[in-house]
Amino acid sequence: MTNPAAGVGHPEETESGLSPSEKGRRKFLVAAGWSLVGATTAGSAYATYKFLFPPILYEPPTVFKIGHVSTYGLGIDERWKLKGRFWVVRNMRGIYNMISICRHLGCTPNWFPDQKRFRCPCHGSIYDAHGNVRGGPAPRTLWRGQITRDPLDGELIVNTVIRLDPDPVQTPQGLWVKENVKEINPFYIGHAAPPGASCASNRLLC
Amino acid sequence: MLQKLKNGIVDSQIFKSIFRHGYPDNDLDRAYAIFSNVFLHIHPVKVRRSALRMRYTFCLGGITLLLFIILSVTGIWLMFYYTPYTGLAYRNIKDLQFVIFGGNLMRDLHRFAAHGMVLFVWLHMTRVFLTGAYKAPREFNWIVGVVLLVNTLVLSWTGYLLPWDQLAYWAVTVGAKMASYTPFLGQNGPWGPQLGFLPTNDIMFMLLGGTVVGQNALIRFYVLHCVVLPLVVTVFLAVHFWRIRKDGFSGPL
Amino acid sequence: MDEKVTREIFPRDSRKSYGLVELMKKSAPIVRKEPEDTVNVWPNLLMIEMICAILVTVGLMVLIQFEHAPLRSLADPSTTPNPMRAPWYFLGLQELLVYFDPWYAGVVLPGMIIFGLMLFPYLDVNPKGVGYYTYSERKFAVFNYSFGFAIWWITIIIGTYLRGLDWQWYWPWSNHLEHMNPALVTLIPLHLIFVNWFHVSEGVGKIFTDIIFIGYFALGTLIPMVVWKPMYKAMGLWRYLTFMFFFLSMMGVGLKIILRLLFNIKYVLVTPWINI
Repeated sequence: MTNPAAGVGHPEETESGLSPSEKGRRKFLVAAGWSLVGATTAGSAYATYKFLFPPILYEPPTVFKIGHVSTYGLGIDERWKLKGRFWVVRNMRGIYNMISICRHLGCTPNWFPDQKRFRCPCHGSIYDAHGNVRGGPAPRTLWRGQITRDPLDGELIVNTVIRLDPDPVQTPQGLWVKENVKEINPFYIGHAAPPGASCASNRLLC
Repeated sequence: MLQKLKNGIVDSQIFKSIFRHGYPDNDLDRAYAIFSNVFLHIHPVKVRRSALRMRYTFCLGGITLLLFIILSVTGIWLMFYYTPYTGLAYRNIKDLQFVIFGGNLMRDLHRFAAHGMVLFVWLHMTRVFLTGAYKAPREFNWIVGVVLLVNTLVLSWTGYLLPWDQLAYWAVTVGAKMASYTPFLGQNGPWGPQLGFLPTNDIMFMLLGGTVVGQNALIRFYVLHCVVLPLVVTVFLAVHFWRIRKDGFSGPL
Repeated sequence: MDEKVTREIFPRDSRKSYGLVELMKKSAPIVRKEPEDTVNVWPNLLMIEMICAILVTVGLMVLIQFEHAPLRSLADPSTTPNPMRAPWYFLGLQELLVYFDPWYAGVVLPGMIIFGLMLFPYLDVNPKGVGYYTYSERKFAVFNYSFGFAIWWITIIIGTYLRGLDWQWYWPWSNHLEHMNPALVTLIPLHLIFVNWFHVSEGVGKIFTDIIFIGYFALGTLIPMVVWKPMYKAMGLWRYLTFMFFFLSMMGVGLKIILRLLFNIKYVLVTPWINI
């Protein structure tokens, strides 16, 4: 004992009085014990992670039968916003739909016909009638949902889970995606313009 | 007569088994009163006279604890009438507000004590900062304090969803959507899609138990708000108080 | 008793478990310090705590006579209230989300605030100013805390009083019930401004912004290293670099808000993966 103040301890409780093989055995047991603790923790963590992901969901419907093209006039139609959370848009070339979920943080934007803008009440994102970002913090353009024609009765079917989301281009006017990139199958259905409609009345829809 | 009755009670075996000291009107019994009581021994038996000065701590930490206790009690009362089901939750709150005796009082107290707790946690933290009370050897207790601050905010946020009104729905929609922007872990976050995260397997899905704020989200937030987070706060509070005593005081305390 | 002496006579040894008990004059429980003017917790301190608790409870009871817990209409996914205001303590966050992308304002920045707060005791090497209110002895630390605190509260005030319908900027004297037209000037990323000014390609403009962004952090770290040598020496390299990262990020948040409000800059840094 080099330290006079250390006093008398219990030698069998310390490592110093052990033979090398006993030391090795103790070391192994300690390592094995801690490995077991580690493995149990990792296993529980994985089980917790799996437990938190339900494999079955009971969520609101996402597929809607929305009637014939002829029941929609030119422009943005809000009749499905309450029930299905999407707008139906008809222009001179055909019909498509836009999901009314702000691409920023998921609020529902409002359509202002006088300003010709969608505006989000949560953080002030602004979209134009085509869904391009014209201001505010939104990082991408509005989604367009899948739209198909029912082969039996010709009515339109909108699926709001299958969404079109092309990468936008940054311009001085905002974030843009060209219209011909978005007007593609199955997110767009070509249809003749209603009788009497002309580009002169609403330039936005041409 | 009364004196006799009092003596009879105080000298009885039952009373003596509960309180192991006399009325604390002398130094010895005052010391016993503190260190033989599980709640009071949070305090030392004696403090320096200067520690009584209000203008040092302003009682901010104590007020935060008091508000937490008020929140626990009113919260338990509210749970008697609340069902975490989307079809009933809102109506239950309406009942509490307009029909049940004292329901509105409990709800108001719960709401404003929650506001107060957030405010006083911030003020307490500012006080601790300004007096340099986080410096060695109390660094770790400051960390525990920050954990408690975060827990307080998360408690407020989870409690927000429970009334199932417009405020609830959108605050949680926005908050959960923010989680989906977590880098490496969310469907919208940087490097999230590249790592294969979709609306059905990312961190927002784990939080809500679904792709939208619905029944699963409500029950998850209910459990977090009423059981998990209060327990976490209680444990960290215990550590917080324990460390105040063990790490030692600074200045006039 | 001096702690060094204590350690010499009673050294720490894993085989022993004794404590040092000291005899003190008077009835003071505090050892290693001179007997001081102490008072019993019961009743002196407990009385103060009791009064404090009563005052807070009464204050709360009075407050709820005038103001009631809010309850809006039933949750409806198809309509968002306009404007949608978060509770006041999250308004700072909501306001920051206007200036930054959600991955930053919603996740990384709050994470950095929490982590930075936790690191504060380890980054603050100033031994002075423990146990009393002082500004003069720890100016820089107090400045840092106040700056972060100020950003937080200013954004809360903006969110509460200066934001209206469609989360647009409304002055207190403008009509808060009328929808304003969106600003004519749209937000523009910094590299497109360089493209307009210097007639360079977008790639070159992005390189300019990269240089500015990296230069901000590099110069911000190097200049104080040279100018305030004592501070750097006291902190050491790693502590200094950690501190500077958090400090410059905090200042950057303020700078970006100013750039957005005055010059409509959407992003100062544009990369294929992240935009800031």
